[in-house]
Amino acid sequence: MSDLLCEINVSDIDLTDKRYKISFSEDDITFLAYSIKETGLVFPPVVRPLSNNNFIIVSGFNRVRALIYNNRAYDNETKILVYKTKSDATDYSCLIKSITALAFKRPLTHSELILSTRRLYRFLDKEKIAEKSSAIFNTKLTVRFIGDLLTLSALPDPALALIHSGNLSFNSAKRIASYDKETIKTFLKIFSNIKASNNIQLEIILHMMEITARDAIKPDNFFNHQEIQNILFDKNKDPGLKTKALRTWLFEQRFPTIFKTRQMVRKKITSLKFSHNIKFLPPQNFESQNVSISFTAKNYTEFEASVQCLHAALENKELKEIFNP
Amino acid sequence: MKIDTLFIDKAIPRNFETDYLISRLKTDPQWVEDSKAVYDFINDADDPVSKAKKTLYITQNKGAVIRECPGTRFYTCCDYTILHTGTFCTMDCSYCILQAYFHPPVLQYFAGLETLALNLEKMFTQNKIFRIGTGEYTDSLIWEKISPQPKFLVETFASQNNCLLELKTKTVNIDSLLSLDHNGKTVIAWSLNTPDIIRSEEKGTSSLKARLEAARRVESKGYKLAFHFDPLVIYPGCEIQYKKVIKQIFEHVRPENIVWISIGTFRFMPGLKQIIEKRFTDSTICYGEFILGLDNKMRYFKPLRIKLYKQIISCIKEYAPNLAVYFCMEDEEVWEKCMGFFPKNEGQLGHYLDKSAVAHCSLNPHFL
Repeated sequence: MSDLLCEINVSDIDLTDKRYKISFSEDDITFLAYSIKETGLVFPPVVRPLSNNNFIIVSGFNRVRALIYNNRAYDNETKILVYKTKSDATDYSCLIKSITALAFKRPLTHSELILSTRRLYRFLDKEKIAEKSSAIFNTKLTVRFIGDLLTLSALPDPALALIHSGNLSFNSAKRIASYDKETIKTFLKIFSNIKASNNIQLEIILHMMEITARDAIKPDNFFNHQEIQNILFDKNKDPGLKTKALRTWLFEQRFPTIFKTRQMVRKKITSLKFSHNIKFLPPQNFESQNVSISFTAKNYTEFEASVQCLHAALENKELKEIFNP
Repeated sequence: MKIDTLFIDKAIPRNFETDYLISRLKTDPQWVEDSKAVYDFINDADDPVSKAKKTLYITQNKGAVIRECPGTRFYTCCDYTILHTGTFCTMDCSYCILQAYFHPPVLQYFAGLETLALNLEKMFTQNKIFRIGTGEYTDSLIWEKISPQPKFLVETFASQNNCLLELKTKTVNIDSLLSLDHNGKTVIAWSLNTPDIIRSEEKGTSSLKARLEAARRVESKGYKLAFHFDPLVIYPGCEIQYKKVIKQIFEHVRPENIVWISIGTFRFMPGLKQIIEKRFTDSTICYGEFILGLDNKMRYFKPLRIKLYKQIISCIKEYAPNLAVYFCMEDEEVWEKCMGFFPKNEGQLGHYLDKSAVAHCSLNPHFL
């Protein structure tokens, strides 16, 4: 049996009940409201009647917001068109409706998958969710992936929001989920303040964990290090700059000798004052002994200038020190 | 570590060696057609590596019995010869590459003393010096209490004059060797580390004190000795600790009875890190300053290696100026800076060690 198309009073919708809200986006509904005003409501929202004659939204949270916006802005209309589920609709069937409505409109984000799976897990086990996944999520999910989603669903706030915003990648979330509660909280605080790619997030996690294991300190205590606090809570730095500063500082702590050597060699190379077209690269990881020097020349004059520049460097003691540290 | 499961290849003949092994293992053997049952048994475990350490598979060596040590072109190799008598180990060192080297790791004992004899005979008739060891893919003496093989090897090597046998171990399983007529051709070698590292990273091995006491005992029976500082682990205060170990060596044995000492810092295939982190949750051995080496193994940052090597070499030289000290898998820069020379030509390092072998083990000098 289909849901019943009917008109209900806006005031009868309990907007605070978001038990079926899967979407993380709180989009600007101005355009949607304008579209509904111009072309009418193409797909009415789905609501579920409650015993107190109120309704809760199953699907179409943004459409309801847009309708309310239009009602207030233009016509003071108090009624909206909705599909009303049957009064005996179950919680499970409403949840499925809410997920499928979104999943068959667009692919769900990781946060939405996590949230949906967490809610579905109240009714189905991992294997059943995997079995029904193509019908529910519009894509085939493996039992293992569902296991990952459930693991991540246990992460505390604001993990989901950070995953949604991209501050915490799926892989990074999986990594931190294996740590103790305090460590997880520590990483959530860090990723709330920086903006990094997946690889850099993983590097930050790796370096933090290795430094703290090496030095036998707890990650949450390490987080309180003045330098980390200064970097993360510097109001003058944007998240990108904070990421760069944190990454550099962590590398220095994790690899102090390598960091110092790199800095020193970089300083010596700068002191050689080579022209920009000369590339001078120290041995990779300082493991081989091969220094790479190259330059480009468009003509003889450029060639001669570069050779002279290299020749002049022979007198520079810094050059000898690079070769004979 | 006690063997709780024993598999024996049905193709192995019942003879003195197998009866000897079975009688001492005190575990009912399961005779299997091939290795599949063993692999399945190990792979079914949550921790196959730990399972493999308690599961012995007695079989035949189906590959090369004698092979050259695998070196790489980027780092200088000592041209060692491996006598392949088994794989894996009952002890549980966190850094052990064998955990990642075999898929899955299987504790194999290669039975067949005749096969060993036949292969060794080919080596003994060559006009060339060979340094042959059994400690590359396993510990040389883990089976000493239950197997006639160590005794067989020592006695077999005793009757020739161009090959040196090196038995490399972290155990103190030497009792059956003490009374043997080794004719000076067997070198008993101990892998050494600081007490801190032995305690934290070398589970199930003998203590430093016990190893050095064992070295003293075999020395008293005329055996020549070797020591291997490999892997050296860099940690705060390690230089002082390694110097203490060196001091202890020379308090226990005479420098002239040491054929060589090798040194090499900890290096590992990147894949080993995950295994260590999973199996040895308290270990911090992978959290040093490692870079990816030219051979695609993780190595300590070179200046750190050089700093430690210099101190260790100068300490050894204080006690034994003429002792052959060499690097296992290091490059020209490290050799030059720490030893003051580099065995640049192919075979040069091998020749340097062969000379020490000839001098200490009465091998034929004409084969040099």
